Amino acid sequence: MNKLKRFFTLLCAAAMGFTCLLSFAACADQSDKQVLRVYNWEDYIDPDIITAFEEEYDCTVEYSTFGTNENMYNELKINQGGYDLVCPSDYMIMKMIAEDMCEPFSQEFRTNGVYSQYVSPYIRNLFEENGWTDYAVGYMWGTMGFMYNPENVDAEDVKDWKVLENEKYHKKSTLKNSVRDTYFYALACVYQDELQALASQLEDASITKAEYTAELKEIMNRTDQDSVDKAREYLREIKKSVYGFEVDSGKNDMVTGKIDLNFCWSGDAAYGIWEADDENGFTLAYSVPELVSNVWFDGWVIPKGGNRSLAEKFLNFISLPENAMLNMDYIGYTSVIAGEEIYSDYVEGGYAVEEEGEELQALLDAGEAMEYDVSYFFKEEGDSTEYTFYAYTEDMQGMLLAQYPTEEIVQRCVIMQYFDEAGNNRINMMWEDVKGAAVPLGAVIFIGVIVLALLGVFLISNYGYEWFKPRPKKGYYKVEK
Amino acid sequence: MKKLYFSRKQLCIPYSVFLVLFVFIPMLLILVYAFTQEAADGSLYFSFDNFLNFFTNSSKLQTLGVSVTVSFITTFFCLIIAYPVAYILARSGWKHTYVLLMLFIMPMWLNFVLRITALRELLNIIGFLGKYDYVNTVIGMVYDFLPFMILPLYNSLQKLDQSLLEAANDLGAGDVHTFLHVTLPLSMPGILSGITMVFMPSMTNYVVSETLGNSNITILGKMIEEYFSTYDDMHMGSMIAIILLVIIFLTMLLSGGFKENADETSSRGANLW
Repeated sequence: MNKLKRFFTLLCAAAMGFTCLLSFAACADQSDKQVLRVYNWEDYIDPDIITAFEEEYDCTVEYSTFGTNENMYNELKINQGGYDLVCPSDYMIMKMIAEDMCEPFSQEFRTNGVYSQYVSPYIRNLFEENGWTDYAVGYMWGTMGFMYNPENVDAEDVKDWKVLENEKYHKKSTLKNSVRDTYFYALACVYQDELQALASQLEDASITKAEYTAELKEIMNRTDQDSVDKAREYLREIKKSVYGFEVDSGKNDMVTGKIDLNFCWSGDAAYGIWEADDENGFTLAYSVPELVSNVWFDGWVIPKGGNRSLAEKFLNFISLPENAMLNMDYIGYTSVIAGEEIYSDYVEGGYAVEEEGEELQALLDAGEAMEYDVSYFFKEEGDSTEYTFYAYTEDMQGMLLAQYPTEEIVQRCVIMQYFDEAGNNRINMMWEDVKGAAVPLGAVIFIGVIVLALLGVFLISNYGYEWFKPRPKKGYYKVEK
Repeated sequence: MKKLYFSRKQLCIPYSVFLVLFVFIPMLLILVYAFTQEAADGSLYFSFDNFLNFFTNSSKLQTLGVSVTVSFITTFFCLIIAYPVAYILARSGWKHTYVLLMLFIMPMWLNFVLRITALRELLNIIGFLGKYDYVNTVIGMVYDFLPFMILPLYNSLQKLDQSLLEAANDLGAGDVHTFLHVTLPLSMPGILSGITMVFMPSMTNYVVSETLGNSNITILGKMIEEYFSTYDDMHMGSMIAIILLVIIFLTMLLSGGFKENADETSSRGANLW
């Protein structure tokens, strides 16, 4: 009994000591510095920016990362009040706002913040149209399309979503191993005729632009059983002719030449094109197919109970054009931040044709350079600057297109909505059916042969003696019973 | 001051805490999740739906079939390759066989994902990648799990009493006969142990099928991951995990993994489970 007592005393002492230490540590943290708990995608910020923010505002940033929107959502549900700032994708932001999980931004931040000062008018309008302005600010954005190797793939072919059906690119293309993106791809293929009709209606002006956009959005967000079934059939068929499904190996497989065609996010395309050019010395290109594409973005929201004032400081800090550029360089995606500085340093500075005068004219005549207009992204109302410059055609089919698509492309892009639970279930079931496959006949036959062989060995080792009557070794004789 | 000392009972406390925290509670949670569903208001209620759903859904059954197929073929090839290796290593008269053994085991010390990524490049050079997804997956699995087969086989073969072989020889059995009637039965514990060590993990090791099969092959491990991270349905994910557990339990039961080690010689120290 005495022993036990002493043991527990010891245990208690140890526990108390430990708690004291912990509380000291906690006190030390609290008394000195404020803490900002940021929850972001993996590899989605330049760590130097975090350090700079910590120094400037004398606070600590507790930075953690997630891999999928669903993981992030679950973590927020389990660990309520555990984060001050999270960075989900478009549809997840919609879901979180609908479920009242987000803290609205302060009036001050919305009107006078650095973010509101520099954010692109295109993104601002997008957020206002959809009613997210109070709860979310943008971070990175882009389109979806094909990264391709122009040596092996005809640029005309990749204007069509159905290019993967092409026998020429059999087992040379990949789809996304993510249900929402690949479902979008399937819809674009399945409803191609309808989309085509819609596009020609817009062309002959029988519908207005607003009607066109609304209709486009409706088609690409269908989740009814019929659409899902069609998508299932289509994907099962196309699965036979693709190289595989991937979420991050695709860009490397493009760079190493394993595949020629990669259905991808524009940021990955920018990364792949740069990497191929820089390290392997060959050219890759990007294309957003005609008729329709997906415009996506990731944005910051403050979960209920988060530290709003510090979170807003952080958002203002990363929205400074110089920090936005650092981030773009680091992760390869395009920031929603616009502004004069980014245009002149990053867009014009990075992509404008260097030649001038006659040389420029020669390039233009040869079709190697063209005028490129990004006004929709940079031009504020009442701004008199022209956001138009001459760019190399190669860039216009590559990096530049991936980073800053033209207005014409953006107008035929739709945001994927958050689907209701029934719709989600239908799509998930569809995905499971697409990913699952029957055991191939060859494998079944092979297993059959193995089983027969094992059975044979078993029988021979047990009864072989009776059947074959092996002769005893020399000098021995068999005793018959 | 008196000297501190602990009784055996007290020394057990950390282990019991460990067992409760990392074995009982997680298992219990998975069981609870597997046999419940979430009502609209977020409360849980008991249900067999997940269980029934698994065995009535063709894609899930197909995935189960694919997993078993891949595991079976992997195990078979591991055995075919490992047995001769273990046999030669265990029976060779060379003093430094452990060097050879180490060479076979050494890849295990390298990071597994790294090895599979490297293998992917190799398969690409050969021209298999993107063409033969099943073959590639099996190659990767065999490569990955071969040491787990060699070790128990080597152990049981090495401990095989040489005099038994001599006795068989003396009594007139030929080499084949000796092998089939003496060596093979006596190395059975090693074989069974190796089979369990390979068959079980290859049912769920989806890194290989994703990397080398370009995600064209879905095995149960991947399916569990999808349910947890993409479909946001922990209940079905847990149910698949439980079903997998039962399958593994059954294979162990069949291979006699639960036999008490009363007969020390029959296990020959090779039964790692």
